[in-house]
Amino acid sequence: MSLVKPENETITQRPTWFAAWPIARTALQLVFRRKLFWLLFLVALLSFLSMFGAIYLLATLRQQSPQLEQFITSMLKDLDGSGTTFLNFMVAQGTVTMILLAFAGSVLAGNDHSRGGLIFYLSRRINVLHYAAGKLLAIGLLISLTTTLPALVLFMEYGLLGDTSKYFGENYSIVFSIIGYGTLLSVAVGLLLFALVSWMPKPVPLVMLWGGLFVFLPILSRILTFAMREPGVRRRIALEESPWRLLDFWYDLFVVGNKFFGVDKPLFTGATIVVCSVCIVSVIAIFVRLRQLQHQS
Amino acid sequence: MRPLFEIDTLTHRYGALLALDGVSLTVEPGAIGLVGQNGAGKSTLIKILLGLLRHTSGMVRVFGSDIVKHGVGLRGRIGYMPEREGVTPGLNGIEYVGLSGELNGMPRKLALRRAHELLSQLGLEEARYRRLENYSAGMVQRIKLAATLVHDPDLLLLDEPTSGLDPDGRTAMLALLKSLAQRPGKSLLFSTHLLGDIEQVCRHTLILENGRIAASGSLEDLLAGQEHAFLLRWKNGDGAANDAFLAALQQAGAEVSPVEEPGQARVVVSAEWPGQQFFHLAKRAGVTLTGLEPEEMDLRTVYRRLVGMESATSSLIGLAKRGESGVAS
Repeated sequence: MSLVKPENETITQRPTWFAAWPIARTALQLVFRRKLFWLLFLVALLSFLSMFGAIYLLATLRQQSPQLEQFITSMLKDLDGSGTTFLNFMVAQGTVTMILLAFAGSVLAGNDHSRGGLIFYLSRRINVLHYAAGKLLAIGLLISLTTTLPALVLFMEYGLLGDTSKYFGENYSIVFSIIGYGTLLSVAVGLLLFALVSWMPKPVPLVMLWGGLFVFLPILSRILTFAMREPGVRRRIALEESPWRLLDFWYDLFVVGNKFFGVDKPLFTGATIVVCSVCIVSVIAIFVRLRQLQHQS
Repeated sequence: MRPLFEIDTLTHRYGALLALDGVSLTVEPGAIGLVGQNGAGKSTLIKILLGLLRHTSGMVRVFGSDIVKHGVGLRGRIGYMPEREGVTPGLNGIEYVGLSGELNGMPRKLALRRAHELLSQLGLEEARYRRLENYSAGMVQRIKLAATLVHDPDLLLLDEPTSGLDPDGRTAMLALLKSLAQRPGKSLLFSTHLLGDIEQVCRHTLILENGRIAASGSLEDLLAGQEHAFLLRWKNGDGAANDAFLAALQQAGAEVSPVEEPGQARVVVSAEWPGQQFFHLAKRAGVTLTGLEPEEMDLRTVYRRLVGMESATSSLIGLAKRGESGVAS
């Protein structure tokens, strides 16, 4: 053995973009080495488990007591196996996903920026684009683990426990809708988180800011929606149509995401502009910061 | 042989601060020491050679390719060991070195195998599954070296690799670097402000001072043409004879610094100074020369003189002119 590789050994080099995967894998490894994240992840899976159980129960009732099953399905629109079932599930996962990301942000990328780890990556055969792609992949996978993947499992369960061929035949497009909405969540939330982590790598300020964006702003948007509601407009209508709702970024994603499921929501154009603007500003913020850190390191 | 790197009128500014000032240099493959005080521009030069830092002006080619255009590809042939940063907390030794290999384009299996081999070689076998944050300073330096070596680079850029090490750790690291410096076909640029380290590892030296190349060449080149210092001892001299002797030395162009003992002086003379001249001058002043001890010349002496003699011309001190220096192996 030697410090130099043996002469008869060739080190094959893979394409540069392949480096995104080890970066993402390492970031996820670091996240899942902390017990707190397992706890948050389990919390994130609670609604999945309850939904899983409910679908199973409905499938059992469908065979043993079809009338009761129809009654329950008519009461719980969320469990009718349509695209809305899975869209609502993914939206409901928002809160816990955001909490998970708030705590994971610093581990996923913040430490590289605050502890000088960035130089380790950038001095290898990659550049800032590959590095950013790896980190975004990690954040995207984490989001998918709590939203897209469970939604796909629920879709499969719904089909397998019912009239399988009929259900899958009629609803196959839901798979693409789930993947489309999941990708939107991963990209938009991933970019926003990475941008914030780049400028604010320490966990406490990051959690506070993230909480502000995904807790304070939604509350504020609701308060403003009701405060500015014109007389006679119903609460439900106001909640769907008031432009103040655009302050709630998760709601914006929900509005845009509805398009994947073939549903047109009011405020679609506004929500699309907000989502695109956030993505563009995030991309600029990420690369400005990475260049800055690269030169400082 | 293709130069290791070619630099032409390289300038780099951090805002108003001029870090590198028109550096021009061609360096052939081999083990090269980069010396300079803190703030001389060593780390900036290394980061520019690595393509991490975009220089303000000038041209930099590494292995014949422009570092700005081909930075990513060239980094695959370079191993960089930073001075302080560069460790990812939370990973263990194997994961860290393996990740470094993968980032340099190696398949995971091969990267991990190389990581195991290297950690065994570097004496970190026992600690390979320990988290990096639990490593001692010496172990951190060794793991960083392993991460630098894992993809078998053609050029190692080592920024203060002995920084923070205890004497034993430093000796071991220097021995390791010395063995690396002897690898055929491989080069090493070793930046430090510890001149003794350079002498042990490198045959060639670049001296940076205030962002400029103050001197470059092999140790022999740097010493050649240098002024010589002697400790002179004489006897039979009364006060007047002593003064006359010292005055005669100064008149002849020697730089005289008296020492505490009477009848002794430290004298610095040019390389062309004939040794017999001391005896002639002593005889003329009426003293008898009893001792003529040459001061040992090493890189430290050269560096001290160079850095302390800003106003001296390069021809006087026998060094290559700035901007025209070349290091040959």
